[in-house]
Amino acid sequence: MTPGPLRPSPRAKQRDAGGSRDFPIRREAAGSDTRRPTLGDGPFSAPMDPREGLHRSREHGGVARRHVLGVAAVALAAPWVRRAAAAEARVVVAGGGFAGATAARTLKRLAPALQVTLVEPEAVYTACPFSNAVIAGLRDMEGQRFGYTALRREGIEVVHRAARGLDGTMRALELDDGTRLSFQRLVLAPGIDLGFDALPGYDPAAAEILPHAWRAGAQTLLLRRQLEAMDEGGTVVMSVPANPFRCPPGPYERASLIAHFLKLRKPRAKLLILDAKDIFSKQRLFQQEWARLYPGLIEWVGLSKGGKVTSVDAGARTLVTEFGRHQGQVVNVIPPQRAGLLAERCGVADRSLWCPVDPLTFESRRVPGVHVVGDAAIMGAMPKSAFAANAQAKIAAAAIVALLSGRPPAEPRPLNTCYSLTAPDRAISIAGVYRPLGGQLADVPGAGGVSPLDADDSFRAQEAVYADAWFRTIAHETFG
Amino acid sequence: MRAAVLAMALALAPAGANAAEPPGASACSGCHTASRALDSAVPPIAGRPRDELAAALRAFRANERPSTVMGRLARGFDLAELDVLAAWFAADRLR
Amino acid sequence: MANVLVSAPKQARAGEIVEIRTLASHPMETGFRAGTNGTLIPRDIVREFSCSYGGVTVFRMELSPAIAANPYIAFHLRARETGPIVLRWTGDNGFSVEETVTLQVA
Repeated sequence: MTPGPLRPSPRAKQRDAGGSRDFPIRREAAGSDTRRPTLGDGPFSAPMDPREGLHRSREHGGVARRHVLGVAAVALAAPWVRRAAAAEARVVVAGGGFAGATAARTLKRLAPALQVTLVEPEAVYTACPFSNAVIAGLRDMEGQRFGYTALRREGIEVVHRAARGLDGTMRALELDDGTRLSFQRLVLAPGIDLGFDALPGYDPAAAEILPHAWRAGAQTLLLRRQLEAMDEGGTVVMSVPANPFRCPPGPYERASLIAHFLKLRKPRAKLLILDAKDIFSKQRLFQQEWARLYPGLIEWVGLSKGGKVTSVDAGARTLVTEFGRHQGQVVNVIPPQRAGLLAERCGVADRSLWCPVDPLTFESRRVPGVHVVGDAAIMGAMPKSAFAANAQAKIAAAAIVALLSGRPPAEPRPLNTCYSLTAPDRAISIAGVYRPLGGQLADVPGAGGVSPLDADDSFRAQEAVYADAWFRTIAHETFG
Repeated sequence: MRAAVLAMALALAPAGANAAEPPGASACSGCHTASRALDSAVPPIAGRPRDELAAALRAFRANERPSTVMGRLARGFDLAELDVLAAWFAADRLR
Repeated sequence: MANVLVSAPKQARAGEIVEIRTLASHPMETGFRAGTNGTLIPRDIVREFSCSYGGVTVFRMELSPAIAANPYIAFHLRARETGPIVLRWTGDNGFSVEETVTLQVA
C-alpha cells in the first residue's frame, strides 16, 4: 500500500441517493432528460452501407431460403402483405444471456418477418441465478446450463462466434472471423467483465487459487470443491466490492448458503465477509436470518470497520485491507466489475465503464441505433439482476419493433423481482417498479421493497417455492 | 419508397395484437409463465377472467389480499392501470 | 453514532518514521444532492482532522465536500519520545470524535 500522507484515499462515492435501497442512482449519467433524436426513427432513415448488400449475399449463403421463410412468416402475420421489403430488416443481438436471448426471442415473436441474428461465443449458457446453491452442494450444475435449440427452431440465426466490435460504418457488427453482420438495429447484451485491473494482485491466475465464481461455470465448481476439501475448523473469507456490481444481494445469499454448508459439514468453521460497503441489499433481512440460522458463524465487516479489500496476496491466500491482513483456507474474491468488454469495443461504455442508455428504449446515449440491455447498462434505480435483464430485453425488443415500423415506442414500466435463498427452504425477496424520470429509471414511489422482517417460517418457505418457480419460468422464457 | 415503408410497418406490427401492450405487462411473464408447457407454483395469468384479475390486483394493491411480492408490485400502478393490465392478460392466451 | 478506526504502531525506535492510518465512519453528505422529495440534503461533513503528538500538533487537514464518505487518512510522523498521539475529527452537526493511542519510544 502506498500511503498518501496528505490526502484521503481516492475512494469513489458509495452512497446512493435513495439511502437504504439496493442500488445507487448513478449520478454521472443523470441530468439530461431530453431524448436525442435517434437514427432510424423510420425504418430507412439510417444511412445504408453501400457494401451491405454485398456482405450479406457473400457471407450468408442461406439468405435466399431465409428470405422465403421470412415472406411466409409475413404472410402468416399479415396476409395482405405481399411485399418482400420487410424481410430485409435485420436486428443483430450480441450476447446470449438472460438479456440477449430474451431480446432475440421477443423480437422474433413480435415481428416474425424480422431477421434476427444472435451472436454468442458459447454453445451452452451457464446461468448465475441459483449457482450459489451449486456452490453449497444443494444443486447440480446441469440445472444451470441452457442451449439455443429453441431459438434456432423459432427462426433465429444463432452464430457461435465472438463479436469484435462495430465496423467503420457503425451499422455492422464485426465478428472474430472477419464476418460483418449488418443491422438496422443492434442489441448489445455483453453482461459483465471482472475488473481484474481494479484489484491489485487479483488476475485470472489468482482466480484459479482464490475463485470469484461470479460468472457461473468452472469457477462455481472450483469454489464448491474447495469448500468440500476444507478442514473442519477452517475459515472462509469473502471479499465483496462496492456498487455497482452484478446481483447486489448475491454475495450475501452466497454467504448464507456457505454458512448452511459449514453448519452441516464443518461445524467449527467460520465465515468472514470483508465488504467495501456499509449498506447492502436486503441487509436487515440477511442479518436477521444469519443471527437466527447461523449464530456466531458469519462475521461481516463493512467499509467503516475496515472491510474494504485493497489488494490480494493469492499465494498466501490472504486479503489485504487498509487495516489488516485476513488469511482464509478458502477465499472467495468477488472483484469490482464493469460492462462486458464488447461494450467498450463498440463505444457504448462511458468513463464509469458501464453503458448509459435512454430509459425509454434502452438505446445507447453514445452510439445511435445500438441498444444496451442487462447488466452492462446503467439502468438508474434498477438493479443488475436476471429478472431485470429479461424485463429490459422485452421492453427493448418492443421499442425496436416500434421504431422500425415508424411508431413511437411506448413508455415502459419495468419491474424487478429478486429472490435470495438464506437456507435451502427459505428465501427473501426484493421487488421494484420503475419509470423513466429525469433521463433515468427511477423507483415508482410507494411501490417495491423487501420481504417483511420477522415474517414467520411459512412466509420464508413460500418465497423459496416462488424463487424456484421464478427460475424455471424465466429460464424457460429465455431459452425455451 | 413510401410503399416499402408501409409494407414494413404492417409486417412488423405485433402479431395478433390490436391494442398496444400496456406499461408493465411484458415483465409479468418473468414469473407467471406464458407457456402452457410449464407447470409452476406461480399461477399463470394469461386467459384468466378479467374481473378476477382486476379484483386480485386491486386487492394486492390495497394490501387486502396477502401476498409476498404482488402487493409491492401492484403499488407501482394506479387503479386504472391495473384494470388495463387485467384486461390485457384476460385477452392473452398461453402459448 | 461516530466510530473511527486507527492503526498505529505501539512502539518505535527514536527517529523512526511511523505510519498512522485512520478511517472515520461518516457519510460526508455534500450539501449539493437532492433527496427523494427534491429538496437539497443539508451538508454534513467532517470539517477538520488533526493529530497531536506529545502535546504538539504535527498534522492537520481541512476536509471539503468533495471528499468521499468514510474518509481514510494516512500520514507519517517521526517518533521522538514516548507520548500520547491524539487524533481528533470535528465537523458539522457537532460531530466530534477523539481517539488516543500511546507510542512507546525506545
